[in-house]
Amino acid sequence: MTLPLAHGLSPRTDLPIPLTLFVYGAAVVLVVSFVALAVLWREPILERYRWRPLPGTVGRLLGSRGVDVICGVIGVALLGLTVYSGLAGQQTAASNFAPTFVYVIFWVGLVAASILFGDVFRSFNPWRAVGRAVAWAVLRGGGDGLPPSLEYPRRLGYWPAAVGLLAFTMLELASATPDDPSTVAIAALAYSVAVFIGMALYGVEPWMDRGEAFSVYFGLFAKLSPFETRERVVGVRPPLAGLTTVKSAAGLVALVAVMIGTVSFDGLSEQSLWVNVGGELGDLFDSLGMASETAFEAANAIGVLLLVGIVAGLYMLGVAGMKILDEEHSLRDLARSFAASLVPIALAYIAAHYLTLLAFQGQAMVYLASDPLGEGANLFGTAEVGINYFMGATLIALLQVGLVVTGHAAALAVAHDRALVMYDDDPGKAVPTQLWMLAVMVVFTICALLLLLAGNA
Amino acid sequence: MTFVIAHAGHWLVTIAYFVPVLGFVAWLAATQLKARRRHRKSGDKP
Repeated sequence: MTLPLAHGLSPRTDLPIPLTLFVYGAAVVLVVSFVALAVLWREPILERYRWRPLPGTVGRLLGSRGVDVICGVIGVALLGLTVYSGLAGQQTAASNFAPTFVYVIFWVGLVAASILFGDVFRSFNPWRAVGRAVAWAVLRGGGDGLPPSLEYPRRLGYWPAAVGLLAFTMLELASATPDDPSTVAIAALAYSVAVFIGMALYGVEPWMDRGEAFSVYFGLFAKLSPFETRERVVGVRPPLAGLTTVKSAAGLVALVAVMIGTVSFDGLSEQSLWVNVGGELGDLFDSLGMASETAFEAANAIGVLLLVGIVAGLYMLGVAGMKILDEEHSLRDLARSFAASLVPIALAYIAAHYLTLLAFQGQAMVYLASDPLGEGANLFGTAEVGINYFMGATLIALLQVGLVVTGHAAALAVAHDRALVMYDDDPGKAVPTQLWMLAVMVVFTICALLLLLAGNA
Repeated sequence: MTFVIAHAGHWLVTIAYFVPVLGFVAWLAATQLKARRRHRKSGDKP
């Protein structure tokens, strides 16, 4: 079973130089970056950044309530179209709007949009829009009899978001029918119900900030963006600096581990190692009496959980190493303090792995917009437009390597800046403790390159 | 887990890529643990 939409269209290419040189070359780049940071970056830059509003009325206009409402309406309409086309349209992934929209435009495209333009999903979020509209209507209707929202429990932290994200990626990576249009539509409906319950219990914004998986997910990537909205005004800040504002809370490490681990499994699932091991694991479940489709899904689910666990374990090993010299902070505090520095790595993994998916399969939206149900309509006259495979195999491989190395170098910079703040009273600790993060980053880099490019070895 | 061992040929080669990092981590742990012990003996913070 292959997952055509969940995996890029041309994931394997011929490399211009041997894989070993790529891997060790990338590791050397990270070591050099680390030395440069230690020598040249001696004061916190990111943690003490300045935010400036966009000039004139542009910042106020973009952040205005009117734009928020318009974007919310668009978001609700797209969710409605996804559910409708998934249930009522042709049940083939390539000709139905729902799978391509969810797995390519929403899941990957919005990551790119968040990096480029800031937290755009907050405005387009259909569940937030509905929640706010209901709250507004209830208040206007004199909803005094309604009980107040519960206080969001501190111990829940980001756990609901981590679980929601894991559930979505399980659908994408472990399910036997991830791109079945009706499956996508039903999953969207089920998730909508879960979000409405969360908002009803804890309020719209508290649930969006911590519990709603996609708000938290795209919100974390938006922290890398040079754009930030404050009190309904859009302004600019240095790229990466927003990561310093990520709230340390329970479940943050798990959330970031899910973000990296699931994409890693997507890479691993294309390797002969997992094809063999996962296949035999599936056969084992099969022999124990599971239906073959369930056995396949169980094997993949174990693989996803295994890689999420490995990512979390490697990170915690690095943090445990930092603890050798740092006896002031607890292991938990250290882990949460540096977890945001892994977000650029998650971005690098996603960008490198789904580069071709977004660039090529994303073009399918041009014809799917004209014929969302796959029934021969041509609403905008674009139903016959094809996909232009405009990038060659070697260029794709080079871009992937560049993205992976840049992401890890950015993660090192964020962690270094954080260390300068944490060890402000004892600057001698900043660099030695970060040597552990360097080791973690090098391991992640090697893993990323092997998962992306080993097929070429 | 015989199937994992049966495919060891695939992943054993991959481990070779991590050998330099493992060496670095071992050196890092040894030197930093030594430094911490030294500082503890002298009564300072590490």
